[in-house]
Amino acid sequence: MREDTIQVGSSLLIKVPNGDVRPMKVEQNGTINLGKFGAFYASELVGQPYGLTYEIVDKRLKVVPPRSIQEVEETDATNELINDGQFVQPLTIEEIETLKKSGLHASEIIKKQIEQHANYQLKTEYSKEKYKKRKEAKYSKSFTVVEPTLFNVCDYWFKKDQNRLRDIRPDALSQMLNLANIRPGGRYIAVDDASGVVVAGILERLGGSGRLITICDIDSPPAYPVTVQMNFRKEVVAPVMSSLNWATADEDYTPSMLMPPAEAPGQIKDSQKSRLNKRKAVANSLMQTREELFAGEFDGLLIASEYEPFSIIEKLTPYVAGSANIVVHSPFVQIVTDLQNKLRDLPQYLGPAVSEVWTRQYQVLPGRTHPTMNTSGSGGFILHAIRVYDDPKASSVVAHRQKKKARLEGTSPAPADSGDVTPSNPDSPMVRDTPETPALDSSAVSNADTSGAEASGDVELGSL
Amino acid sequence: MWSAAREIADGDLVIVWLTRDVVQPLVITRGKELNSKYGVYRHSDLIGVPYGSKIGSRNGKGFIHVLRPTPELWTLALPHRTQILYLADIAFVVSWLNIKPGSRVIEAGTGSGSFSHSVARTIGPSGHLWSYEFHEARANKAREEFVRHGMDNVVTLTHRNVCKDGFTVEGTVDAVFLDLPAPWDAVEHAKKALRKDRTTRICCFSPCMEQVLRTVSALNEAGFTDITMYETLIRPHQVDAVPPLSPISDVSAKLRQAEQRREEKRLRQIAISRAARHAAGKRKRDGDADEEAEGAGKKAKTDDEGEPRSEELAGEPAASAGAETPAAKDEVPTSGQSTPAQGSGETDLGTAEPLAKITLSKVFPDVRGHTSYLTFACLLPKIPAAEAAPEVEAEAAEDSAAAASSS
Repeated sequence: MREDTIQVGSSLLIKVPNGDVRPMKVEQNGTINLGKFGAFYASELVGQPYGLTYEIVDKRLKVVPPRSIQEVEETDATNELINDGQFVQPLTIEEIETLKKSGLHASEIIKKQIEQHANYQLKTEYSKEKYKKRKEAKYSKSFTVVEPTLFNVCDYWFKKDQNRLRDIRPDALSQMLNLANIRPGGRYIAVDDASGVVVAGILERLGGSGRLITICDIDSPPAYPVTVQMNFRKEVVAPVMSSLNWATADEDYTPSMLMPPAEAPGQIKDSQKSRLNKRKAVANSLMQTREELFAGEFDGLLIASEYEPFSIIEKLTPYVAGSANIVVHSPFVQIVTDLQNKLRDLPQYLGPAVSEVWTRQYQVLPGRTHPTMNTSGSGGFILHAIRVYDDPKASSVVAHRQKKKARLEGTSPAPADSGDVTPSNPDSPMVRDTPETPALDSSAVSNADTSGAEASGDVELGSL
Repeated sequence: MWSAAREIADGDLVIVWLTRDVVQPLVITRGKELNSKYGVYRHSDLIGVPYGSKIGSRNGKGFIHVLRPTPELWTLALPHRTQILYLADIAFVVSWLNIKPGSRVIEAGTGSGSFSHSVARTIGPSGHLWSYEFHEARANKAREEFVRHGMDNVVTLTHRNVCKDGFTVEGTVDAVFLDLPAPWDAVEHAKKALRKDRTTRICCFSPCMEQVLRTVSALNEAGFTDITMYETLIRPHQVDAVPPLSPISDVSAKLRQAEQRREEKRLRQIAISRAARHAAGKRKRDGDADEEAEGAGKKAKTDDEGEPRSEELAGEPAASAGAETPAAKDEVPTSGQSTPAQGSGETDLGTAEPLAKITLSKVFPDVRGHTSYLTFACLLPKIPAAEAAPEVEAEAAEDSAAAASSS
């Protein structure tokens, strides 16, 4: 999918000492400027593997060997005698600036600061380490090239602007791709209004074989900016992915490009001819993509859209094969909840289930292991359902049992038996009569019990 | 892996979805029958039917859905030989480890193969998975399963204790996943197996914090970097469509109505007893008056519960509201039916048309609260010798020697 090493033209994610990640592009003969962390010749990175840390020395790079975590010695020090606002650092900002300008190495500056610090020896060892780290983040001229894995790119975008990703956090993306059964050679439809994070995931997991049709809301090819950092090779993506929009994905749409030209063929100039040919090629490829979509039998449908999801599912279900997975992500639980409520009444969707992703990261320094203090609040909500072909003649065991019970007791039939089933009722866990195992993982994500949900006659059989 | 054909064929593995909680694997064998409490099905009737079809039982009672297997369905349906990994952890580990088509991966131990199937799907025919299981019977079972599922060209299964004997490949794989009781004993072996020309990754899956701490120091000593740890879970939501919650003005109105009824009844009772007293004559007046008044009061109280029902039967639904409110209150958030209290309230206000339901969701009461801690780390590519510190250089030389011997 991408080159194993950094190339001219690569889009990099560069992590600077203070933890920020910046997007940078490797240009021929270019200089990459990291502000106070220094600047260097981009060519220095060409041919390097991803993931290494470098120190900048005179615009050239020196690989920094990986540092291991140091055990911190336990001491009796506490902050008992350390007070806020005390004058502890005689070294002034101006003096530090002069030191920096003189070209002194970051570690030397930090050493000087520690020597001058009045209370440094009172600090606990943990606190001393924190102090050194903080100073390093300030003065050291170094950086790390983040490898553009799907996880890292998603994480970078999520931290940068989670709204643009529609809250698709790496854990949510991972679950979506697995639930949709993305595999090399598979054929998928995606609606990605999440800056292309879903598209990036699908392309990565197709590995250059299979098919992806995306449907967007603009009349030019969608940009999907997240795919930029993935550094996919063009020739790998082009044959796999095509895009339509909500107009061109309509079966009754006629592209104006296909209308016969107004002028008679004889009058066309040569310059116009090549333009017309180009237009024709675009139109042909569009018509091909449409035909491919309408021919259907896709292996999965993934939706992360700002538009009403049921209208999208209704429109695209005919093109999705039996047993295909439908995965919808939304930042809002209400959106997927309403969708689940609609889908569970329809016999062509099996087991629609809503779940929420939950993840927490830990700091694992020796003797200081704990969940990180700041964390992301939400990675959104996922609805998963399986597209099935209905058989309106099939009836549920529960319905029969309830009919029988009703006869024996001589009471009126249970709600599940009457024609107008209340949506939540027959499959609500409260009235489910099968012994219920505790909800485990996605298996029990929702309550729709197929034997309870009744078919209400459907066009699906026609497609069998 | 599994059949990619549109229709089910003899010998295919299908996933039979009976209910959400009853999902079973089934190998289609002409001549066999599937018997369950959801009906009777002949395998031969499933042959030629498209995947994803709903199938009615032969006796007309019950139905099933026959689905194409996916690693996710397999996780729900597989025969458990051990504790297994589920979607949340599998998905997270696969993406953190950067497992993708063409990846070369090590997994130890194989267990019930839940993770193996997911990885095999994602790496595809151009990737490879080396899977190790130290329990011989389980290893054999898993090997048979991989062959039956057409994964044997992608997965190499070895019966071996990797903590003692290491892995069968050196300098080869992109990622290592360790689901072992003592992963720290396998960390050095894992380092040998990982390739050295690019960043590689490892994940250790351990349920206990004590294991995490030992693993972290082993990873650190072995020279792994970016050590971090995650916990990830799925919180399944239960969805219900219910009538909109009643405003308290409704409750207030009902309470007032009830009070008014009680007052009317009390006045009626008083009138009745007064009339009775008149009829009883003067003899009783002095001695029994108090007693009788008290009795009437008591009766009014007990009647309070019985009476509304008779009034309801008489065609005054509004009257039932007050008495039923306490019971109805419990039902509102849970049941999908419109509650009697609401129905009568609407009638009372003259808005006969039912209110649109609202959809609510909350996390199921019993959910998985912990699976395991996922400890991750990276092994950076070998630094070009000229730039490396002497110590690293020696190690690099050692690695290249190892790589040379393996090739």
